[in-house]
Amino acid sequence: MEQQEKIILRNVNFWYGRNRILDKISMKIAGQTITAVMGPSGQGKTTFLGLFNRLWDDIPGAKADGHMEILLDNRPVTPIRKDIPTPMLRRKVGMIFQEPNPLPMSIAKNMAFPLKLAGIQDKSYREAKIKKALEQAFLWDEVKHRLHTSALDLSGGQKQRLCLARALVLEPEILLCDEPTSSLDAHAANVIEELLVQLKTRCTILMVSHNPDQVQRIADNVFELQNGRMNPSDIPSKHLPG
Amino acid sequence: MMRTLMEKTITFLSWLMTLVLFSVVLFFIGYLLHKGLPVLGRSLVFGETDPMQAILGRARVFDGLFPAVMGTLYLVLLSTALALPIGISAGIYLAEYAPPAAGRRFGFFFDILAGIPSIVIGLFGFSVAVFLHKHFSGRISPCLLISALSLAFLVLPYIIRSTQVALESLPAPIRRTAPALGATRLQNLVYVLIPHALSNIVSGIILSIGRCAEDTAVIMLTGVVATAGIPSSLLSQYEALPFYIYYISGQYADQAELDKGYGACLILLGICAVLFILAGMVKKHLTHRALYKV
Amino acid sequence: MKTSGDAIAKAFFLSCAGISAVMTSAVFLFMIVLGLPLFRKGSFMDIWMGTWSPAEGVFGIGHMIAGTFWIAIPAVVLSLPLSLGTSFVIAGLGGPRLRETLISLVRFMTGIPTVIYGFLGIFLLVPLIREELGGPGMCVLAASMVLAVLITPTMVLFFSHSLMAVDPAHVQAARALGAGRIQRLLYVMLPEALGGMATGLVLALGRALGDTLIALMLAGNALGMPAGFLDPARTLTGHIALVQAADYDSLEFRSIFACGIALYLFTTASVIAVRFIERGKKEAA
Repeated sequence: MEQQEKIILRNVNFWYGRNRILDKISMKIAGQTITAVMGPSGQGKTTFLGLFNRLWDDIPGAKADGHMEILLDNRPVTPIRKDIPTPMLRRKVGMIFQEPNPLPMSIAKNMAFPLKLAGIQDKSYREAKIKKALEQAFLWDEVKHRLHTSALDLSGGQKQRLCLARALVLEPEILLCDEPTSSLDAHAANVIEELLVQLKTRCTILMVSHNPDQVQRIADNVFELQNGRMNPSDIPSKHLPG
Repeated sequence: MMRTLMEKTITFLSWLMTLVLFSVVLFFIGYLLHKGLPVLGRSLVFGETDPMQAILGRARVFDGLFPAVMGTLYLVLLSTALALPIGISAGIYLAEYAPPAAGRRFGFFFDILAGIPSIVIGLFGFSVAVFLHKHFSGRISPCLLISALSLAFLVLPYIIRSTQVALESLPAPIRRTAPALGATRLQNLVYVLIPHALSNIVSGIILSIGRCAEDTAVIMLTGVVATAGIPSSLLSQYEALPFYIYYISGQYADQAELDKGYGACLILLGICAVLFILAGMVKKHLTHRALYKV
Repeated sequence: MKTSGDAIAKAFFLSCAGISAVMTSAVFLFMIVLGLPLFRKGSFMDIWMGTWSPAEGVFGIGHMIAGTFWIAIPAVVLSLPLSLGTSFVIAGLGGPRLRETLISLVRFMTGIPTVIYGFLGIFLLVPLIREELGGPGMCVLAASMVLAVLITPTMVLFFSHSLMAVDPAHVQAARALGAGRIQRLLYVMLPEALGGMATGLVLALGRALGDTLIALMLAGNALGMPAGFLDPARTLTGHIALVQAADYDSLEFRSIFACGIALYLFTTASVIAVRFIERGKKEAA
């Protein structure tokens, strides 16, 4: 079964001033897959993820060029051209980071935060969305009785799942994961891995990872980023089902 | 051998210098307490007038520091209220919006502003008052409003810098939390960055209030006088504690007046000490959590 | 909607920064314009280098410039050993608890009102100098000594901050080689901290040049060139504070704008000097 291409990059470069961080990157990624990017640190893996939600927007001297297309709402969009307002783009392209970053407020308020930013007022709609996202993140049963306690009191793994749920509440089509398990213990990391595999039916996942075993377990495509160049990796990826 | 001798000498001298510095300052404060404490009391501030009547504005205080204390209070409130919105906004611009080159250029101006001697700021305020007097309204002359404007200008760079530094020192994970969830820059500022930086911003503001309270050079050119009573409007002349101290040091007529000068010093020092301690407490205890109410 | 709100906010923040910068320049322009009659009359150099001779219609501020430095330089020289010693104790010789205490004390000292130092100087130091050393008491020495106490906290904070900002790995390495506290301080921390300390020195000098109250209250304010430390002197700041001529158009009154310009230029020079030092530090690193 041929899947629709969600992401197309052709000769995309990224610059900090005169330094070329990403060098002529070309790749095609199908929808509803997990794509992993590996490689030594300091090679621009996080920068690569940032191409998709313009994370470098506020950084002076940062600049991207080349051909890039992602499909949002079945409409091709070029993040690096700024043909979509940044907040809009970031609602459709979610991101979680290496260190879970819940805000110092209650679980419920953390979850409602992106909805508030998007200007969604309807309370029952909000609550339904929050419940659904927390369920998707395997967190609902653990926190449903303590939604109004501080998010900072959760365990590390729970915090990361909360951040994931918080990103999912906006129903993004693409999810960027910057080493999502590297600050977690083995058990918590396993839960997140399992979660990502489940989530790929809903969104296309791009992740950066240091862990070859993890990549082998969950990724459909694997790339290696070295000296700013992106190459298919030797690490065998999981075969697409069907 | 030479080397260790030198090292020993430097060690000894360092401790000695530290001792000298703190002895001098402690002696100053001790002497002030010795001279000022006996005078401190109701009659120092209110003279013969009933304090309640004075505070309610029903009776004038002729023989006490009350008008000077109130003048300083008005000055501090007015100039802080004037400087805060501009200072904080400019600090936000420098920290969050300015491209690096513009940031450096603005930084240069604000460094100069921070370094301009306060008497020159006072001279500027005075010149503006004279200019307005000549060209706009004969009613305008050096007054409470002109002083407050000049003082606001004096503390502006401190408010700008403390806001800027407080925002810039926020770590990257906090900065990118809200943008990754689709926040605009303004939303990020309002919901995340300012709440997280608030304790440092407030502590900077409190320290600049201290500067408003203690500055003498600015106000002596812009409307403070030795006797004016409590100012009736923004355009009237006024009294202030630091100017009173300056005035007494040259013009005291008898021992009683001199003693009042020591009392005024003690009150002013007390105000500055309280502000200093307050700033420290705010820095330590006013966390951003208080703002989010969990 | 949201983006336009964002644009308005940005414009507002920018204009606040702009207003502050424009006002900073306006101070200078105002003084130039108001001092203009003075510059038109008589030769330009007479104002800056000349003496104060009202009888001849010359209102030179040369002696005030000299008086300013006569008081500020000794103050910095007196303050330097105090500041060095105290910052050595804070940054290396004392323990962590003593460090915290001393830093809080020094911070507090920066907040002690200047006018209080002046007040105590008049009643403690001036009589002492008059009786022990002679002269009028209110003199360069009295002002310099009190000014030294006033600027020391600023210098100590800068010095100790620069010393403590030195890479802890270097200090650790020296410790592993058996260097004692004073040796780590002198041979590892001090050389690396010199740039930052130079900044502190320039800023303290700026503060000493720009202070009004101490010189006004303690230096005697006599017009004329001081010949020694026990002579009175008038500073630029003191001159501005003292001229209260009723006639705003007199040249005597206009001379205070020349003083203001001189002080403004000193400030600008010190800011440029600090930038120069910082740039040198960055290039060295």
